[in-house]
This record gives sequence, structure tokens and C-alpha cells, in this order.
Amino acid sequence: MHPALSKAVDWIRTCAEIAVSALLAVMFVAFIVQIVFRYFFNFPVGWSSELSVIAWLYMVLLGSAFWLREGEEIRFDLLEGASRPAVRRVIGVLVAVGAVVLFAMSLPATIKYVTFMRVESSSYLKIRLDFLYSIYVVFAVALIVRYAWAAWAALRGDAAQDVHVTQKGYGL
Amino acid sequence: MNPTSPFSISISAIVVLSMLGLPIGHAMIAGSVLYLYAAGLDMGTAAEQLLNGMYTSFLLLAIPLFILAAEFMNAGSIMDRLLSFCNAIVGRFRGGLAQVNVVQSIIFASMSGSALADAASSGKLMQTLMTKDGKYPPAYAAALTTVSSVIGPIMPPSIPLVLYALVSDTSVGYLFLAGVVPGLLLGIVQMGLIALTAKRRNFPVEAPVPLRELPGVTWRAVPALMMPVILLGCLYSGVTTPTEAAAVAAAYALLISALLYRSVRPTDVYHSLRTSARLTVSIGMLIAGALVFNYVITAENIPKTLSAMLKAYEMTPLAFLLAVNVLLLILGCFLEGTTIILVILPVLLPTAQSLGVDPVHFGVMAVTNIMLGLVTPPYGLLLFMMTKIANVPLREIVRESLPFLYVMFGALALITLFPGISLFLPRLLGYAG
Repeated sequence: MHPALSKAVDWIRTCAEIAVSALLAVMFVAFIVQIVFRYFFNFPVGWSSELSVIAWLYMVLLGSAFWLREGEEIRFDLLEGASRPAVRRVIGVLVAVGAVVLFAMSLPATIKYVTFMRVESSSYLKIRLDFLYSIYVVFAVALIVRYAWAAWAALRGDAAQDVHVTQKGYGL
Repeated sequence: MNPTSPFSISISAIVVLSMLGLPIGHAMIAGSVLYLYAAGLDMGTAAEQLLNGMYTSFLLLAIPLFILAAEFMNAGSIMDRLLSFCNAIVGRFRGGLAQVNVVQSIIFASMSGSALADAASSGKLMQTLMTKDGKYPPAYAAALTTVSSVIGPIMPPSIPLVLYALVSDTSVGYLFLAGVVPGLLLGIVQMGLIALTAKRRNFPVEAPVPLRELPGVTWRAVPALMMPVILLGCLYSGVTTPTEAAAVAAAYALLISALLYRSVRPTDVYHSLRTSARLTVSIGMLIAGALVFNYVITAENIPKTLSAMLKAYEMTPLAFLLAVNVLLLILGCFLEGTTIILVILPVLLPTAQSLGVDPVHFGVMAVTNIMLGLVTPPYGLLLFMMTKIANVPLREIVRESLPFLYVMFGALALITLFPGISLFLPRLLGYAG
């Protein structure tokens, strides 16, 4: 990768890391505020749960699009790890191209759905849903660009960076 | 099934893409898009399902908060205190340190909801302690950490049980309660096996901690030991919702780490936030993908079809549960556990319910089974992680963990055969099932 481009990618990743971590802090604080207001001031607040849900949605989509490497997501890497570098390259190209095609195919309909949602707003914070949901379009475009890049890198023979075992994604 | 139907094409795409290394969440979205295209449906539905699903599943917010709570706990000096507490209690027996490993896992299980997080956080420390001066064979130590980490998500809090609550519409509170006894049971059979083999393998005894020091050691561990009390207290007094209880747990963990143990700096807090956020994104993406793909499964009416098909076989509930156990064990060899909970269990649930199987019992049994899948080769994530952390060959860890696996399968059989083991506690607190 060109040094300037590589620097830009690192910068985007760091920004996303800070943003997603901050969103988790926002979610945590919103919950505490909600509990405190309800039990100590007997004053239920609705905006806090809406804020937490928005934080959750944005954490996942922003984080997956701009922060986590493929190796840090939950994935099955057994076959990939067991295959020879040449095979791995072919697999890398095929998988990345498949992802690009499928995400690109659904992009027009996705944009149509998101813009259609302008008719609704969120209940408490009154944010228009097309604005709120546009993060999915950003996510889809980012994935298309990333996988196109991954396909190109695999084609040229650049191996993806190995991810340490404690950084791999898991759900259990 | 018609191999060229939209559903078959979509399933094949997901299996191929994820087997070849595409993140499973992305693969499920991509495969669902293919289904929508092949079936001539609006491809914007994928976005709609994901966005609305994530936006309305309030329950899922418990997952990042539970992860955060465990991370805050780890940031303090809690692990040291817990270990001296466990050592004071069970260190005096033959194979004492091995017993400490299990007891530590049981206690830590009541603060954390993820087995891999448990292994990642305490694995290195336990390995160093157990293999120092050649006390235990490295493979045995690694195998023990691997199998004892399994207890984490069966005892509350538990990420897999929250996910199951989401797909099954059962109460998280009752599910958490139902996991307590099965979790303890797994710990007990492991400790029993250690006691049985300790003499034969001549495992060492730790220097006994004098009884007069016990109150002090316990007192130092009390703030950490209070965590489950606070968590369950919040849930069952009805003071908070399960998601809020997770936030209270995180706040409590942060508070005692910062105030009592005075060992947390702002950089530690950021580090905890970042680690939790990374884990949240990886789980969240998988959930998001499953939300999209579950639309496909529902559109194809798969759960009802399966239920009708199995009904024709006139299966007894017990035969069904045994079949499910076998199926899950086989799937667990190839599939990632979170995917099984989010995609496979909803397909099986209607059949379970029509046979009169209690959904809470079914969930605890299935999650226990899936957790054992983390320790069974060829695809055992916990094994993979421990071989890297402990630097012991996979084959040797597998060999040492086999006896433990056998007794744990025994425990799983008991949990399957006797619903009372899981349902006893929830019924005591008002569960009507």
C-alpha cells in the first residue's frame, strides 16, 4: 500500500476506534442517568433509552465498517489457515469479489429504503429516520470499497495482516 | 429441498463465503441479499431488517454492558484478591491449584458472560501459576483453564443466554436463574475429577493458609464476591430491567475498582472501553447478520415445516432433546456457537414447544451443549485460544481435556434428562413453566 494511503487508513481506523469506544461510554452513562432519574427523582426519561439504542446501532455499523480488520470479526478461519499461500490468494479474491458484488447489487434498493424513511422520526429525540439510518448506506459503501481493495491486494499477492489470538472476535 | 430454489442458493452462498473466511455477519447479509434477488423481492429488505431489528432489540444492549462490567472488574486488582481467596479455601487439598482454577472460574462466571473472555483474561496468569516449578504439566494446566472457562456463560450473566432470550422470547431473568445450578454442576464434576486423579498423578498441595487469616482474605475479596448478589438482586427485586441490571453491574465494577482498590487510571478506563467496544462490534455484526438472515428463514416458513415434519415421526420429547443434543454437538464441530444460537435454535424452538419442552430448560440445555462445542475439536475456539496463550500444542491440550469432556457430557446428560436441575431455581422464584 502507498505510504500516504496506509497512513490515511490508520487514521480512519483510530478515529473509528475512539468514536466507537465513546459511543459505548455514552450508552453506559445514558443507562445510569435513566436509572438515577427513575428511582431517585421518580422522573422517567425516554430519551436515554433511545440514545442507547442509537449508540448501539452506530457502534456496530461504524466499528465493522471502519475499525475492525476482517480477522477481528467473528469468522471461520480454519480452512484459510490450513491452505497453501497460493490457494489462500485465490480464495481471498473469490470471497472479496463475491462480497463486493452482493453488497453493490443491493445498494440502490438500500438507498431507496433509507431515503423513504424520511417520513418517520424517532420518538423522543425527533431525529428523522432517513438521517439516522443513513449509517447503513455508509457501512455498505465502506464494505464495498474495503472488499474491492482486499480483492486487489489478494490478486497482487499481499497477504492480510495476521491478528493476535486475543484480538479475534468471538461471541461466547 | 430443491437445489436451485432461492433458499438453497442463499444457504450455499452463506456457507461457502463464511467457510472461506468472510466474517459470518457479512456473509449472512450477502447471502440474504442473494435470496431477495433470486426470489424477486425488494433487496432493500436486508437493510430494513437489519436497521429495524437492531433499533428495536433493546434487550441486546445488555451484551455490551455485561462485557464492560467484566472488563472493569479485570482492570482492578480483583483477580489477585479472588485467587488468594480461592487458594485459602481449596489450596490445602491435593491438586489444590487445579481446584483453585475451577473455583476461580465459577466465581468469575458470575461476573462475566463470555467463556473466551474468561480464558483470555485469566488464562495466562493461571498457566504461569500452575506450571511454576513444574507443579503441573503445561498441557494439563491449559486443558483445565479451557474446560473451566466453559462455566462462564452458563452461570449468569451470560451473553449466549441473552441471545437465546432474544430469539425465544423467554425471560432473561428466569434463564439466568436456570443457569446457576447447571453451571455449578459442571464445576462440581470438574472438581470431582481433579480430586480423583490428584493422588494418582501426585499433584502438589499448596501451603495451607492458616484459618485465622481466612476472614481477612475473604474480606479483601468481598467487593468482588458481591457482584453476583447485586446483579441478581437488581433483577429479581424488579428494581431494574435486565439491561439496566447490566449497567448497574458495570457501574459497580467501575466504582469498586476505582474507589476501593484504587488501581484504575483514566487510561485503564479507556482501555476497558476499547476492549469491550471491539468485542461488542464483532458480536453485534454477527447479530445484525442473523437478524437479516432470520427474515429469510421466516419467509420460507422453515421452523413450521420442520415442526410438522418431526410431528409426523411422533417423537417423544426426550427423544427430541437427545436428537437436538446430537445435532448441536455435530454442528458445534463446524459452526460458530453464536450463529447456532441465533439461526439454528429458532428453527428448532417451535418443535420443542409443540412437544411440550420447557423453553427455559431447552435454552439452558442448548447453551450448555454449545459451550462444550468450544472445547471439542476440530473447531473448538477455546482450544485454539489456549494453545496460543499457553503455548502448548493443540493435540496435548485435547488429550488432557478429554477426561474432563467425558464428565461434562455426563453433566449435560443429567441437565437434559432432569429439567428440574435448571428449572428448580426459577420455579422457586415464581416461574410458572
